[in-house]
Amino acid sequence: MADAVRRGGGTAVGVTSQLGSRAEAEQALAEATGALGPLDVVVHALVDPAALVAAPLTETDEASWDARCEAALRTALACAQASFVQLRDRGGRLVFVTPTVGLTGAAGLVPYVTAVEGIRALVKSAARQWGRHGITANCVAPPVALVAAGAEDPGIEAPALGRPPATRRDVAPVVAMLAGDPGHFVTGSTVTVDGGVVMAP
Amino acid sequence: MSGPLDGRGVVVTGAGRGVGRGIALACAAAGADVIVASPGENGAETVAEIEQRGGSAAWVRCDVTRGDDVRAVMAAARGRRGVHVVVHNATSRRSSEPTRLEDLDGAAWEDHAAVSLRGAYHCARAGLPALPRDGGRFILMTSPAGMEGSTMLPAYGIVKGGLRGFAKSLAREWAPLGVTVNVVSPLAETPAMIAAAEQDPGLRPRLARRIPLGRMGDPEHDIAPAVVFLAGDGARYITGQTLVVDGGRFMLL
Repeated sequence: MADAVRRGGGTAVGVTSQLGSRAEAEQALAEATGALGPLDVVVHALVDPAALVAAPLTETDEASWDARCEAALRTALACAQASFVQLRDRGGRLVFVTPTVGLTGAAGLVPYVTAVEGIRALVKSAARQWGRHGITANCVAPPVALVAAGAEDPGIEAPALGRPPATRRDVAPVVAMLAGDPGHFVTGSTVTVDGGVVMAP
Repeated sequence: MSGPLDGRGVVVTGAGRGVGRGIALACAAAGADVIVASPGENGAETVAEIEQRGGSAAWVRCDVTRGDDVRAVMAAARGRRGVHVVVHNATSRRSSEPTRLEDLDGAAWEDHAAVSLRGAYHCARAGLPALPRDGGRFILMTSPAGMEGSTMLPAYGIVKGGLRGFAKSLAREWAPLGVTVNVVSPLAETPAMIAAAEQDPGLRPRLARRIPLGRMGDPEHDIAPAVVFLAGDGARYITGQTLVVDGGRFMLL
Protein backbone atom coordinates (compact mmCIF):
# COMPACT_ATOMS: atom_id res chain seq x y z
CA MET A 1 0.00 0.00 0.00
CA ALA A 2 2.81 2.40 0.93
CA ASP A 3 4.47 1.55 -2.39
CA ALA A 4 1.27 2.35 -4.27
CA VAL A 5 1.07 5.73 -2.57
CA ARG A 6 4.69 6.49 -3.46
CA ARG A 7 4.15 5.43 -7.07
CA GLY A 8 1.30 7.92 -7.15
CA GLY A 9 3.71 10.66 -6.11
CA GLY A 10 2.83 10.71 -2.40
CA THR A 11 4.83 10.09 0.73
CA ALA A 12 4.12 6.97 2.78
CA VAL A 13 5.55 4.51 5.22
CA GLY A 14 4.22 1.07 6.05
CA VAL A 15 4.15 0.03 9.71
CA THR A 16 3.25 -3.52 10.72
CA SER A 17 1.32 -3.88 13.96
CA GLN A 18 -1.44 -6.02 15.46
CA LEU A 19 -2.67 -2.97 17.43
CA GLY A 20 -3.54 -5.53 20.09
CA SER A 21 -2.71 -3.26 23.02
CA ARG A 22 -2.26 0.40 23.75
CA ALA A 23 1.53 -0.11 23.89
CA GLU A 24 1.51 -1.71 20.43
CA ALA A 25 -0.62 1.08 19.00
CA GLU A 26 1.61 3.75 20.53
CA GLN A 27 4.65 1.98 19.11
CA ALA A 28 3.09 1.84 15.63
CA LEU A 29 2.25 5.56 15.64
CA ALA A 30 5.69 6.41 17.04
CA GLU A 31 7.29 4.49 14.16
CA ALA A 32 5.09 6.37 11.70
CA THR A 33 5.98 9.77 13.13
CA GLY A 34 9.65 8.78 13.25
CA ALA A 35 9.54 8.23 9.50
CA LEU A 36 7.13 10.96 8.39
CA GLY A 37 7.09 13.62 11.09
CA PRO A 38 4.17 14.63 13.30
CA LEU A 39 0.72 13.19 12.59
CA ASP A 40 -2.39 15.20 11.79
CA VAL A 41 -4.90 12.48 11.01
CA VAL A 42 -5.50 8.91 12.11
CA VAL A 43 -8.00 6.76 10.18
CA HIS A 44 -8.97 3.51 11.87
CA ALA A 45 -10.28 1.25 9.13
CA LEU A 46 -9.12 -2.10 10.48
CA VAL A 47 -11.68 -4.89 10.20
CA ASP A 48 -10.98 -8.53 10.96
CA PRO A 49 -12.66 -10.42 8.07
CA ALA A 50 -13.39 -13.28 10.48
CA ALA A 51 -15.68 -10.94 12.43
CA LEU A 52 -17.88 -10.64 9.34
CA VAL A 53 -18.56 -14.33 8.83
CA ALA A 54 -22.21 -14.67 9.81
CA ALA A 55 -23.06 -17.12 12.58
CA PRO A 56 -26.00 -17.36 15.02
CA LEU A 57 -25.14 -15.93 18.43
CA THR A 58 -26.22 -19.16 20.12
CA GLU A 59 -23.56 -21.00 18.12
CA THR A 60 -20.85 -18.47 18.99
CA ASP A 61 -18.51 -19.71 21.71
CA GLU A 62 -16.83 -17.40 24.19
CA ALA A 63 -13.51 -17.30 22.32
CA SER A 64 -15.32 -16.39 19.12
CA TRP A 65 -17.36 -13.72 20.91
CA ASP A 66 -14.13 -12.18 22.15
CA ALA A 67 -12.43 -12.34 18.76
CA ARG A 68 -15.40 -10.88 16.84
CA CYS A 69 -16.54 -8.28 19.35
CA GLU A 70 -14.37 -7.35 22.29
CA ALA A 71 -11.05 -7.62 20.40
CA ALA A 72 -12.31 -5.07 17.87
CA LEU A 73 -13.30 -2.73 20.71
CA ARG A 74 -9.93 -3.11 22.46
CA THR A 75 -8.15 -2.34 19.20
CA ALA A 76 -10.27 0.75 18.51
CA LEU A 77 -9.71 1.97 22.07
CA ALA A 78 -5.95 1.40 21.81
CA CYS A 79 -5.87 3.24 18.50
CA ALA A 80 -7.82 6.20 19.92
CA GLN A 81 -5.65 6.42 23.03
CA ALA A 82 -2.41 6.15 21.05
CA SER A 83 -3.67 8.81 18.65
CA PHE A 84 -4.38 11.15 21.56
CA VAL A 85 -0.73 10.90 22.64
CA GLN A 86 0.25 12.17 19.18
CA LEU A 87 -2.44 14.82 18.80
CA ARG A 88 -3.03 16.20 22.30
CA ASP A 89 -0.75 19.21 21.89
CA ARG A 90 -1.24 19.97 18.20
CA GLY A 91 -4.80 18.92 17.48
CA GLY A 92 -5.85 16.66 14.64
CA ARG A 93 -8.51 14.45 13.15
CA LEU A 94 -9.69 10.96 13.97
CA VAL A 95 -11.84 9.04 11.50
CA PHE A 96 -13.25 5.60 12.27
CA VAL A 97 -14.81 3.38 9.63
CA THR A 98 -18.06 1.99 11.06
CA PRO A 99 -20.19 0.12 8.47
CA THR A 100 -23.90 0.90 8.27
CA VAL A 101 -24.77 -2.47 9.88
CA GLY A 102 -24.14 -0.57 13.13
CA LEU A 103 -27.13 1.62 12.35
CA THR A 104 -29.39 -1.12 11.00
CA GLY A 105 -28.29 -4.21 12.92
CA ALA A 106 -27.61 -7.47 11.05
CA ALA A 107 -28.64 -11.04 11.81
CA GLY A 108 -25.62 -13.31 12.19
CA LEU A 109 -23.33 -10.41 13.02
CA VAL A 110 -24.33 -9.70 16.62
CA PRO A 111 -20.73 -9.59 17.98
CA TYR A 112 -19.37 -7.41 15.17
CA VAL A 113 -22.31 -4.98 15.18
CA THR A 114 -21.97 -4.68 18.97
CA ALA A 115 -18.37 -3.60 18.36
CA VAL A 116 -19.36 -1.14 15.63
CA GLU A 117 -21.95 0.57 17.84
CA GLY A 118 -19.46 0.59 20.71
CA ILE A 119 -16.94 2.30 18.44
CA ARG A 120 -19.51 4.91 17.40
CA ALA A 121 -20.10 5.69 21.08
CA LEU A 122 -16.34 5.76 21.68
CA VAL A 123 -15.95 8.32 18.90
CA LYS A 124 -18.68 10.54 20.37
CA SER A 125 -17.06 10.52 23.82
CA ALA A 126 -13.66 11.20 22.22
CA ALA A 127 -15.20 14.12 20.34
CA ARG A 128 -16.65 15.55 23.56
CA GLN A 129 -13.56 15.04 25.72
CA TRP A 130 -10.88 15.93 23.21
CA GLY A 131 -12.52 18.85 21.45
CA ARG A 132 -10.63 21.31 23.64
CA HIS A 133 -7.40 19.80 22.35
CA GLY A 134 -8.44 20.72 18.83
CA ILE A 135 -9.16 17.10 18.00
CA THR A 136 -12.21 16.09 15.98
CA ALA A 137 -13.50 12.52 15.91
CA ASN A 138 -16.00 11.18 13.37
CA CYS A 139 -17.29 7.99 11.81
CA VAL A 140 -17.69 7.16 8.14
CA ALA A 141 -20.25 4.45 7.44
CA PRO A 142 -20.01 2.53 4.14
CA PRO A 143 -21.97 -0.65 3.41
CA VAL A 144 -20.44 -3.62 5.18
CA ALA A 145 -19.85 -5.34 1.83
CA LEU A 146 -17.23 -2.69 1.13
CA VAL A 147 -15.09 -3.63 4.14
CA ALA A 148 -15.39 -7.41 3.80
CA ALA A 149 -16.08 -9.21 0.55
CA GLY A 150 -19.14 -11.42 0.83
CA ALA A 151 -20.55 -9.75 3.94
CA GLU A 152 -24.19 -8.80 3.52
CA ASP A 153 -26.22 -5.83 4.66
CA PRO A 154 -29.85 -6.39 5.65
CA GLY A 155 -30.66 -4.78 2.27
CA ILE A 156 -33.55 -2.59 3.25
CA GLU A 157 -33.61 -0.57 0.04
CA ALA A 158 -31.59 -0.33 -3.17
CA PRO A 159 -29.17 2.61 -3.23
CA ALA A 160 -30.98 5.81 -4.22
CA LEU A 161 -28.03 6.67 -6.45
CA GLY A 162 -28.44 3.42 -8.34
CA ARG A 163 -25.23 1.60 -7.40
CA PRO A 164 -23.23 0.70 -4.31
CA PRO A 165 -20.23 2.90 -3.48
CA ALA A 166 -16.64 2.21 -4.49
CA THR A 167 -14.00 2.86 -1.84
CA ARG A 168 -11.67 5.13 -3.75
CA ARG A 169 -14.20 7.02 -5.82
CA ASP A 170 -16.97 7.45 -3.26
CA VAL A 171 -15.84 6.81 0.31
CA ALA A 172 -12.24 8.06 0.40
CA PRO A 173 -13.23 11.65 -0.55
CA VAL A 174 -15.53 11.80 2.48
CA VAL A 175 -12.71 10.62 4.74
CA ALA A 176 -10.51 13.27 3.13
CA MET A 177 -13.19 15.91 3.74
CA LEU A 178 -13.35 15.04 7.43
CA ALA A 179 -9.55 14.96 7.59
CA GLY A 180 -9.11 18.23 5.70
CA ASP A 181 -10.07 21.88 6.13
CA PRO A 182 -13.70 21.53 4.99
CA GLY A 183 -14.36 19.15 7.89
CA HIS A 184 -12.76 21.23 10.62
CA PHE A 185 -15.98 21.94 12.53
CA VAL A 186 -17.55 18.49 12.18
CA THR A 187 -17.13 16.29 15.24
CA GLY A 188 -18.98 13.39 16.84
CA SER A 189 -20.81 12.68 13.57
CA THR A 190 -21.48 9.54 11.61
CA VAL A 191 -21.47 10.21 7.87
CA THR A 192 -23.25 7.50 5.89
CA VAL A 193 -21.66 6.91 2.48
CA ASP A 194 -23.77 4.19 0.91
CA GLY A 195 -25.45 5.90 -2.04
CA GLY A 196 -28.68 6.40 -0.13
CA VAL A 197 -29.67 3.11 1.48
CA VAL A 198 -29.65 3.89 5.18
CA MET A 199 -31.21 7.25 6.05
CA ALA A 200 -31.10 8.02 9.76
CA PRO A 201 -34.11 9.73 11.44
CA MET B 1 -50.46 -10.04 42.67
CA SER B 2 -52.02 -10.07 39.23
CA GLY B 3 -51.56 -8.03 36.09
CA PRO B 4 -50.23 -8.05 32.54
CA LEU B 5 -47.36 -10.43 33.40
CA ASP B 6 -49.50 -13.05 35.16
CA GLY B 7 -48.06 -16.52 34.83
CA ARG B 8 -44.75 -15.31 33.42
CA GLY B 9 -41.23 -15.81 34.68
CA VAL B 10 -38.95 -12.78 34.41
CA VAL B 11 -35.18 -12.87 34.93
CA VAL B 12 -33.60 -9.52 35.89
CA THR B 13 -29.82 -9.18 36.20
CA GLY B 14 -28.39 -6.61 38.57
CA ALA B 15 -31.71 -6.54 40.42
CA GLY B 16 -30.18 -6.02 43.85
CA ARG B 17 -30.41 -2.24 43.63
CA GLY B 18 -31.12 0.76 41.48
CA VAL B 19 -32.98 0.43 38.19
CA GLY B 20 -32.76 -3.38 38.27
CA ARG B 21 -34.44 -3.47 41.67
CA GLY B 22 -37.18 -1.16 40.39
CA ILE B 23 -37.75 -3.41 37.38
CA ALA B 24 -37.96 -6.48 39.62
CA LEU B 25 -40.50 -4.80 41.91
CA ALA B 26 -42.65 -3.59 39.01
CA CYS B 27 -42.62 -6.93 37.19
CA ALA B 28 -43.65 -8.72 40.38
CA ALA B 29 -46.42 -6.18 40.91
CA ALA B 30 -47.56 -6.95 37.35
CA GLY B 31 -47.96 -10.61 38.27
CA ALA B 32 -44.61 -12.11 37.24
CA ASP B 33 -42.45 -14.52 39.18
CA VAL B 34 -39.13 -12.67 39.26
CA ILE B 35 -35.73 -14.30 39.34
CA VAL B 36 -33.45 -11.73 40.90
CA ALA B 37 -29.97 -12.38 39.50
CA SER B 38 -27.46 -10.50 41.59
CA PRO B 39 -23.92 -11.17 42.77
CA GLY B 40 -24.51 -9.76 46.26
CA GLU B 41 -26.79 -10.27 49.24
CA ASN B 42 -28.88 -7.28 48.17
CA GLY B 43 -30.62 -9.70 45.81
CA ALA B 44 -32.23 -11.29 48.87
CA GLU B 45 -33.39 -7.84 50.01
CA THR B 46 -35.17 -7.26 46.70
CA VAL B 47 -36.88 -10.65 47.04
CA ALA B 48 -37.91 -9.88 50.64
CA GLU B 49 -39.45 -6.59 49.50
CA ILE B 50 -41.40 -8.36 46.72
CA GLU B 51 -42.65 -11.05 49.08
CA GLN B 52 -43.64 -8.51 51.69
CA ARG B 53 -45.87 -6.89 49.04
CA GLY B 54 -47.41 -10.27 48.24
CA GLY B 55 -45.39 -11.00 45.09
CA SER B 56 -43.36 -13.97 43.97
CA ALA B 57 -39.58 -13.94 43.52
CA ALA B 58 -36.35 -15.82 44.14
CA TRP B 59 -32.74 -14.69 44.36
CA VAL B 60 -30.07 -16.61 42.49
CA ARG B 61 -26.52 -15.47 43.16
CA CYS B 62 -25.08 -14.65 39.76
CA ASP B 63 -21.99 -13.04 38.31
CA VAL B 64 -23.13 -12.35 34.73
CA THR B 65 -19.55 -12.44 33.46
CA ARG B 66 -19.61 -16.22 34.11
CA GLY B 67 -21.56 -18.37 31.68
CA ASP B 68 -22.08 -21.09 34.31
CA ASP B 69 -23.70 -18.62 36.68
CA VAL B 70 -26.09 -17.34 34.01
CA ARG B 71 -27.02 -20.88 32.95
CA ALA B 72 -27.78 -21.67 36.61
CA VAL B 73 -30.13 -18.68 36.74
CA MET B 74 -32.03 -19.89 33.68
CA ALA B 75 -32.21 -23.41 35.13
CA ALA B 76 -33.62 -22.05 38.39
CA ALA B 77 -36.23 -20.06 36.48
CA ARG B 78 -37.21 -23.09 34.42
CA GLY B 79 -37.80 -24.94 37.67
CA ARG B 80 -40.39 -22.30 38.61
CA ARG B 81 -42.59 -20.62 35.98
CA GLY B 82 -40.07 -20.69 33.14
CA VAL B 83 -38.29 -17.85 31.40
CA HIS B 84 -40.63 -15.65 29.40
CA VAL B 85 -38.61 -12.46 29.75
CA VAL B 86 -34.91 -11.76 30.27
CA VAL B 87 -33.87 -8.26 31.33
CA HIS B 88 -30.11 -7.72 31.27
CA ASN B 89 -29.64 -4.64 33.41
CA ALA B 90 -26.39 -5.35 35.28
CA THR B 91 -23.47 -2.97 34.77
CA SER B 92 -19.95 -2.73 36.12
CA ARG B 93 -19.59 -1.44 39.68
CA ARG B 94 -17.20 1.07 38.13
CA SER B 95 -19.92 2.49 35.85
CA SER B 96 -20.10 5.81 37.70
CA GLU B 97 -16.35 6.51 37.98
CA PRO B 98 -15.56 9.64 35.93
CA THR B 99 -12.70 8.89 33.54
CA ARG B 100 -10.77 10.60 30.80
CA LEU B 101 -10.75 8.39 27.72
CA GLU B 102 -6.95 8.65 27.48
CA ASP B 103 -6.65 7.39 31.08
CA LEU B 104 -9.07 4.46 30.74
CA ASP B 105 -6.98 1.45 31.77
CA GLY B 106 -7.27 -2.16 30.72
CA ALA B 107 -8.74 -3.35 34.02
CA ALA B 108 -11.54 -0.77 34.06
CA TRP B 109 -12.36 -1.46 30.42
CA GLU B 110 -12.36 -5.22 31.04
CA ASP B 111 -14.83 -4.83 33.90
CA HIS B 112 -17.21 -2.72 31.81
CA ALA B 113 -17.02 -5.09 28.84
CA ALA B 114 -17.35 -8.21 30.99
CA VAL B 115 -20.53 -7.18 32.81
CA SER B 116 -22.38 -5.31 30.07
CA LEU B 117 -21.30 -7.01 26.85
CA ARG B 118 -20.23 -10.51 27.86
CA GLY B 119 -23.12 -10.50 30.31
CA ALA B 120 -25.53 -9.81 27.44
CA TYR B 121 -23.90 -12.57 25.41
CA HIS B 122 -24.27 -15.08 28.26
CA CYS B 123 -27.88 -14.04 28.92
CA ALA B 124 -28.78 -14.43 25.25
CA ARG B 125 -27.07 -17.77 24.82
CA ALA B 126 -28.38 -19.26 28.04
CA GLY B 127 -31.77 -17.59 27.70
CA LEU B 128 -32.83 -18.56 24.18
CA PRO B 129 -33.38 -22.28 24.85
CA ALA B 130 -35.77 -21.29 27.65
CA LEU B 131 -37.59 -18.39 25.96
CA PRO B 132 -40.95 -19.28 24.40
CA ARG B 133 -41.26 -19.08 20.62
CA ASP B 134 -43.84 -16.46 19.63
CA GLY B 135 -43.75 -14.42 22.80
CA GLY B 136 -40.30 -14.49 24.39
CA ARG B 137 -38.83 -11.13 25.35
CA PHE B 138 -35.20 -10.05 25.66
CA ILE B 139 -34.66 -6.55 27.05
CA LEU B 140 -31.41 -4.62 27.47
CA MET B 141 -30.59 -1.31 29.09
CA THR B 142 -28.71 1.47 27.34
CA SER B 143 -28.07 5.07 28.39
CA PRO B 144 -27.83 8.59 26.97
CA ALA B 145 -24.04 8.05 27.21
CA GLY B 146 -24.41 5.21 24.73
CA MET B 147 -26.30 7.31 22.21
CA GLU B 148 -24.66 10.73 22.39
CA GLY B 149 -21.30 10.00 24.00
CA SER B 150 -20.22 11.17 27.45
CA THR B 151 -17.81 13.73 28.80
CA MET B 152 -17.59 11.82 32.09
CA LEU B 153 -18.08 8.10 31.45
CA PRO B 154 -16.56 7.03 28.13
CA ALA B 155 -16.23 3.32 28.98
CA TYR B 156 -19.85 3.20 30.10
CA GLY B 157 -20.81 4.98 26.87
CA ILE B 158 -18.95 2.42 24.74
CA VAL B 159 -20.61 -0.61 26.28
CA LYS B 160 -24.05 1.02 26.34
CA GLY B 161 -23.68 2.00 22.68
CA GLY B 162 -22.51 -1.51 21.94
CA LEU B 163 -25.63 -2.99 23.52
CA ARG B 164 -27.79 -1.12 21.02
CA GLY B 165 -25.90 -2.79 18.18
CA PHE B 166 -26.29 -6.10 20.00
CA ALA B 167 -30.05 -5.59 20.34
CA LYS B 168 -30.70 -4.47 16.77
CA SER B 169 -28.82 -7.45 15.37
CA LEU B 170 -30.29 -9.98 17.77
CA ALA B 171 -33.77 -8.59 17.05
CA ARG B 172 -33.27 -9.49 13.38
CA GLU B 173 -31.74 -12.85 14.25
CA TRP B 174 -34.52 -13.92 16.61
CA ALA B 175 -37.45 -12.34 14.77
CA PRO B 176 -38.22 -15.58 12.86
CA LEU B 177 -38.61 -17.25 16.27
CA GLY B 178 -41.10 -14.67 17.47
CA VAL B 179 -38.74 -13.53 20.23
CA THR B 180 -38.40 -9.74 20.44
CA VAL B 181 -35.31 -7.83 21.52
CA ASN B 182 -35.55 -4.23 22.69
CA VAL B 183 -33.62 -1.64 24.65
CA VAL B 184 -34.65 0.86 27.32
CA SER B 185 -32.67 4.05 27.86
CA PRO B 186 -33.42 5.27 31.38
CA LEU B 187 -32.43 8.38 33.24
CA ALA B 188 -32.95 7.46 36.85
CA GLU B 189 -32.06 8.23 40.41
CA THR B 190 -29.64 5.41 41.16
CA PRO B 191 -27.73 4.76 44.38
CA ALA B 192 -24.58 6.09 42.70
CA MET B 193 -26.40 9.25 41.61
CA ILE B 194 -27.88 9.77 45.08
CA ALA B 195 -24.44 9.37 46.66
CA ALA B 196 -22.95 11.82 44.18
CA ALA B 197 -25.74 14.33 44.90
CA GLU B 198 -24.99 14.12 48.63
CA GLN B 199 -21.39 15.12 47.92
CA ASP B 200 -22.43 17.83 45.47
CA PRO B 201 -25.75 19.51 46.35
CA GLY B 202 -25.74 21.38 43.03
CA LEU B 203 -25.68 18.18 41.00
CA ARG B 204 -29.41 17.43 41.04
CA PRO B 205 -30.55 20.93 39.95
CA ARG B 206 -27.85 21.00 37.25
CA LEU B 207 -29.02 17.67 35.83
CA ALA B 208 -32.68 18.63 36.18
CA ARG B 209 -32.17 21.73 34.03
CA ARG B 210 -31.25 19.46 31.12
CA ILE B 211 -34.36 17.29 31.52
CA PRO B 212 -37.57 18.76 30.04
CA LEU B 213 -39.70 17.06 32.69
CA GLY B 214 -37.45 18.64 35.30
CA ARG B 215 -36.38 15.68 37.41
CA MET B 216 -34.55 12.36 37.39
CA GLY B 217 -36.79 9.30 37.07
CA ASP B 218 -37.71 6.94 39.86
CA PRO B 219 -36.56 3.39 39.00
CA GLU B 220 -39.76 1.63 40.01
CA HIS B 221 -42.40 4.19 39.07
CA ASP B 222 -40.89 6.02 36.07
CA ILE B 223 -38.52 3.54 34.38
CA ALA B 224 -39.83 0.06 35.16
CA PRO B 225 -43.35 0.59 33.68
CA ALA B 226 -41.70 0.87 30.25
CA VAL B 227 -40.01 -2.49 30.83
CA VAL B 228 -43.30 -4.04 31.95
CA PHE B 229 -44.87 -2.74 28.74
CA LEU B 230 -42.13 -4.21 26.53
CA ALA B 231 -42.41 -7.50 28.44
CA GLY B 232 -46.16 -7.71 27.91
CA ASP B 233 -48.46 -8.74 25.07
CA GLY B 234 -49.04 -5.15 23.95
CA ALA B 235 -45.45 -4.90 22.72
CA ARG B 236 -45.50 -8.02 20.54
CA TYR B 237 -44.98 -6.05 17.28
CA ILE B 238 -42.07 -4.01 18.63
CA THR B 239 -38.53 -5.29 18.12
CA GLY B 240 -35.05 -3.84 17.68
CA GLN B 241 -36.14 -0.54 19.23
CA THR B 242 -34.73 1.76 21.87
CA LEU B 243 -37.45 3.09 24.17
CA VAL B 244 -36.10 6.29 25.70
CA VAL B 245 -37.46 6.85 29.22
CA ASP B 246 -35.56 9.91 30.33
CA GLY B 247 -37.97 12.79 30.91
CA GLY B 248 -37.37 14.09 27.39
CA ARG B 249 -33.59 14.43 27.76
CA PHE B 250 -32.87 12.81 24.39
CA MET B 251 -35.18 13.71 21.49
CA LEU B 252 -33.08 13.09 18.42
CA LEU B 253 -34.97 10.10 17.07
